Amino acid sequence: MNPGFMQQQEAFFSVNDHHHLQDMFTLGMVDKDSALNIVKPDPEMEECWVGFDAGAYGGQLGYGYLNQNTALKVSNIHGNASSVLVSPKKRKADKGQTLQVVSEKEKKIKGCCDRDSKLTRQNSNGNNNSNGNNHNKEASTKATSKDKPKVSEDQKKDYIHVRARRGQATDSHSLAERVRREKISERMKYLQDLVPGCNKIIGKAGMLDEIINYVQSLQKQVEFLSMKLASVNPELDFNMDNTFTKEMFDSSTSEFPALACSSANSAYFDQLNSLDQVVSYRGLDMGINSAEMGLRSISSPISIPETFMDSSFFNQTATWDADLQNLYKMEFEQGRLIPFQSHQFTGKVNWKKKTAI
Amino acid sequence: MHTSSKLTKEFTKKWVKGLQICCSSKKDMDVLERKKKIKLCADIALASAKNATTSWSIALISEAKKNDENEILVDNLLGPESRFKQQKIIRQMNSCHKRVRSKKILKKSCSISQRMKKMGPPKSNLAAYIAKRLVKKRTQVLQRLVPGGESMDEFSLIKEALDYILSLRVQVDVMRNLANATEVLNQSNSSNVFD
Repeated sequence: MNPGFMQQQEAFFSVNDHHHLQDMFTLGMVDKDSALNIVKPDPEMEECWVGFDAGAYGGQLGYGYLNQNTALKVSNIHGNASSVLVSPKKRKADKGQTLQVVSEKEKKIKGCCDRDSKLTRQNSNGNNNSNGNNHNKEASTKATSKDKPKVSEDQKKDYIHVRARRGQATDSHSLAERVRREKISERMKYLQDLVPGCNKIIGKAGMLDEIINYVQSLQKQVEFLSMKLASVNPELDFNMDNTFTKEMFDSSTSEFPALACSSANSAYFDQLNSLDQVVSYRGLDMGINSAEMGLRSISSPISIPETFMDSSFFNQTATWDADLQNLYKMEFEQGRLIPFQSHQFTGKVNWKKKTAI
Repeated sequence: MHTSSKLTKEFTKKWVKGLQICCSSKKDMDVLERKKKIKLCADIALASAKNATTSWSIALISEAKKNDENEILVDNLLGPESRFKQQKIIRQMNSCHKRVRSKKILKKSCSISQRMKKMGPPKSNLAAYIAKRLVKKRTQVLQRLVPGGESMDEFSLIKEALDYILSLRVQVDVMRNLANATEVLNQSNSSNVFD
């Protein structure tokens, strides 16, 4: 069993991406046998795992929900393994960790899934170890008739004792913690709907990662857009009608068909809309840095008087690359032209003439 | 969706108003300054559109207020009815600062003691320890991202982050629409010139 186990481990060593690991493990956990294979350290643990497995997947709670925490723990173990334990020497330590995985899982499950039945079983088995972390749950446990893993407890005696002493000494504390954990996982679920691309990721750390990325990209988008607006308007005078603003938020993207009546612009609109979809937030993220650097090199954008640009220039730039440097160039040129055309603006948006150029 | 469209309208109104205010004062600004103004207006408008219901908006407003020249802008944007709320804001921020300070002290002392404890049985704890550390690091990063996140515990941080994401989305949508609109207008007008 051990060489096989090591092989599997090495396979996982090569996978560095944390999310990848989690994905793999959630997939793996679906298949019962492979799940056992992933974390079984040696044959004597088999019993423990089987028992655990039967309890875990006994349909007590949402399968996926259990998966969440088990996947997290397992992947964290292996994440650790890939980063820290490479040599065969440390296999023993790894075994120890996988033992801890079991206890961790049990703790998590009892915390998050309201399943204290297992722990009452452990108590009834008379293990000293379980008392350390289980007795505090007894108050709120419901007795069921499932078999519980025993082997793990003996070997993790010290571990559990330590944990009990440190964190969960009283009933109220553990209850409160459990409530807190439930709340957090509930919020995480809601976040999954909110943040795009979070459906596959289960587990707190990965979710937080995605949230962080999303918030960062949104903030960068705001910066980029404000820079774009700043370069487009030489002055920030928005003497807008109420009707103008109403149109802006009544329809989502094509809110200016009334104002921009030329048919040539509708093609432009389509390109813009498609661009918005094409440029995912990650792509925008990377593009922004290069574009901002390009823009900072432009020292005095507006004050240079310039004659008319060739009309072909605009046609060219209307073909919208995902290359944001083009965007900045175009804004730059347009910004220069605005003072000459301000008197031609009809319609509802009035731009004041630039007085001090 | 109802709330987001409402938020959109509020935000747009306040943003436009704020831009009119802050840009009527100065005439000559280079691009970066203008960008900062635009962004500032957008942020304050977003926060005030929330009407001080969420703590990140409160934090954002109070941070903007620290800068003296923004104060007029903030006051105008917030509107007269929020004068009462401003006091609430100030009180909350004070309490937040105290919490932050005391939390920092606690953290320092805790981390040291934890480190000493964890050196004891390293192997048995390693898995859980690393998992916790991962989560902890990420919550720290998130705290830095969300305004006013330093003084929040994990649970409310997630809640605030949720709300913040929603509002940021609104902000991005509105700004993008405006930018597209001005671009199209410019292009149409320039093409009119050439015709």
